[in-house]
Amino acid sequence: MNKWTKTAAGVAVSIALLGSSALANAADTIKIAMAGPVTGPVAQYGDMQFTGGNAAIEMINKAGGINGKQLEAVIYDDACDPKQAVAVANKIVNDGAQYVLGHLCSSATQPASDIYEDEGILLITAASTSPEITGRGYELVFRTIGLDSDQGPTAAKYIVEHVKPKKVAVIHDKQQYGEGIASSVKVGLEAANVPVVAFEGITAGDKDFSAIIAKLKKLDVDFVYYGGYHPELGLLLRQSKEKGLDATFMGPEGVGNKDISSIAGEASEGLLVTLPKKYDLDPANKAVVDHIVAKGEDATGPFVWTGYAAIQAMAQGMKAGKEDPFELAEYLRGNVAKTVMGDLQWDSKGDLKGFEFGVFTWHKDGTSTQNQ
Amino acid sequence: MSEQFYYFLQQILNGVTIGSTYALIAIGYTMVYGIIGMINFAHGEVYMIGSYAAFFVLAGLAMLGIDSLVLLLIAAFALSIMITSAYGWSIERVAYRPLRGGNRLIPLISAIGMSIFLQNFVRLAQGSRDIAMPSLITGGWTIGPADAFNVTLSYMQVVIFVVTFISMTVLTAFISKSKMGRACRACAEDIGMANLLGINTNKVISITFVIGAALAAVAGVLLSMYYGVINPYLGFMAGLKAFTAAVLGGIGSIPGAVLGGLILGITEAITAGYFSSEYKDVVSFGLLCFVLLFMPTGILGKPEVEKV
Repeated sequence: MNKWTKTAAGVAVSIALLGSSALANAADTIKIAMAGPVTGPVAQYGDMQFTGGNAAIEMINKAGGINGKQLEAVIYDDACDPKQAVAVANKIVNDGAQYVLGHLCSSATQPASDIYEDEGILLITAASTSPEITGRGYELVFRTIGLDSDQGPTAAKYIVEHVKPKKVAVIHDKQQYGEGIASSVKVGLEAANVPVVAFEGITAGDKDFSAIIAKLKKLDVDFVYYGGYHPELGLLLRQSKEKGLDATFMGPEGVGNKDISSIAGEASEGLLVTLPKKYDLDPANKAVVDHIVAKGEDATGPFVWTGYAAIQAMAQGMKAGKEDPFELAEYLRGNVAKTVMGDLQWDSKGDLKGFEFGVFTWHKDGTSTQNQ
Repeated sequence: MSEQFYYFLQQILNGVTIGSTYALIAIGYTMVYGIIGMINFAHGEVYMIGSYAAFFVLAGLAMLGIDSLVLLLIAAFALSIMITSAYGWSIERVAYRPLRGGNRLIPLISAIGMSIFLQNFVRLAQGSRDIAMPSLITGGWTIGPADAFNVTLSYMQVVIFVVTFISMTVLTAFISKSKMGRACRACAEDIGMANLLGINTNKVISITFVIGAALAAVAGVLLSMYYGVINPYLGFMAGLKAFTAAVLGGIGSIPGAVLGGLILGITEAITAGYFSSEYKDVVSFGLLCFVLLFMPTGILGKPEVEKV
């Protein structure tokens, strides 16, 4: 036996071992992979999704599980990075999970979903809003959140009808999520003849935005829409206040995080944010809120609820005997799922029918109030 | 004076602010390269540790109820410099000294490993969330008309200019006047010969790392107060930019690092201000390529003579 055959034999043996361990687990538990950022700058959003997903799984298990089987959550960290997301997706395939809750960032969900679709794994994302994710005709990709293409028009409509600014600047972070949503807002504003005097990208991870703020100040803008996440917008707000740029800021649900208030301080007061409805205030969800709060976790984040609903939808299908991912996908398309977000229905692409964002005003203490 | 002038002035001030801090970090790259001919890729992480040290000192003193600005600043600078220098010294001892004298690529890999280690160490110890820092120095001046575009210069920006200038002056005096500085210059010229002449080269190299780390700590304190946010990843981008500044100015040359930092900062601000912020990195790295085409050793770098 030469060196290569030895190696090959070793690999074959280890694959066989992996395979058998996956089979042993499959008998009494149903594994659900939860993928999202555990680390990295947007890990808070991952926490929200994991809080919701775990709570759903615990409550379903407490109520007897799925036809006698228990659900089991396994968390995978993609750090919101497309490359790591692919590695995570391959790991999930190897670990033998057939259902995925995640990923969080659109730019991570998209490459990972290619792998799941090929391997016959069902994916429900609780947070990725890029239209492209469901726009490729995939059979096994769903989401429990709206699209950028819904969020953009909601924001644009609100700006046109309520804010009525004179000059608008649209800034984005050059990423799939941020730029997509910013473009959609720009199109909406231009259609209503609101002048967009600047449309520019900044680099995610940058700390100094003084040059672009001076430019906005010179252009005399009174309204800024930012497509991206909270770390950059927090700094933009803080530096704008220091540099005397007097404008109202608005952002998508990716900026709606308590940390933006600790970064921007006073400057975060009055920021406008499009967010999913506040399901934690719904009296029907009190038991879930109590369960989450009893564990010492935070029940207020938007993805807690979209994550919870995603697991509920999967569980409902499995209880109806549709454990095969393809049958489950068919079930979701054809039935109404009863969840904490209300009754959910999906269209043929895997998008929710009739999901609506609300416009909220953000406060410096990290809370927000709904405007419409 | 016209609006155009004020706008230009504002962008220059923005550029000088960011350039000053690139320069402070770039010194660490250039000094180490000048003496042992190695790129210390963990230096960006040393800067990040300086920021965290500043945060802990400020948060700790705030908990003790100390709110005198002068005292807070002195304590933040002094303790952050001490902690960060200790890191700089230990990094050299642990990751580079055992590998010295071997192939030049080996310490380079070790440096990248050190950088990953430090980033993850801070991430695991402190979490990956952004930590917000209190702004100690608020307010500033406004120059120009109140109703049209006016120039803002915050007190913090002035503090950055002044502290950078003082640090550079002290460093230049140290290198050109003190005995240790003379030993540093001797090592930079020919480390083998310096060793033969009785200079403790190990000590000189340790001192170099300590100085680099101390200046990175100064940058860490200044920038964490200016931007108000720190996270374990901020060392990477800052390190990359500072390294670019060092190469642009001529790696191995201390005035070169300062010049490179300022040119880089001003180029970024002008590009973002007059063209588009999307292209600011493209233009600054394009400038780097252009300068290196005509001056392969950077603006103030000396052509390397092969030592036999």
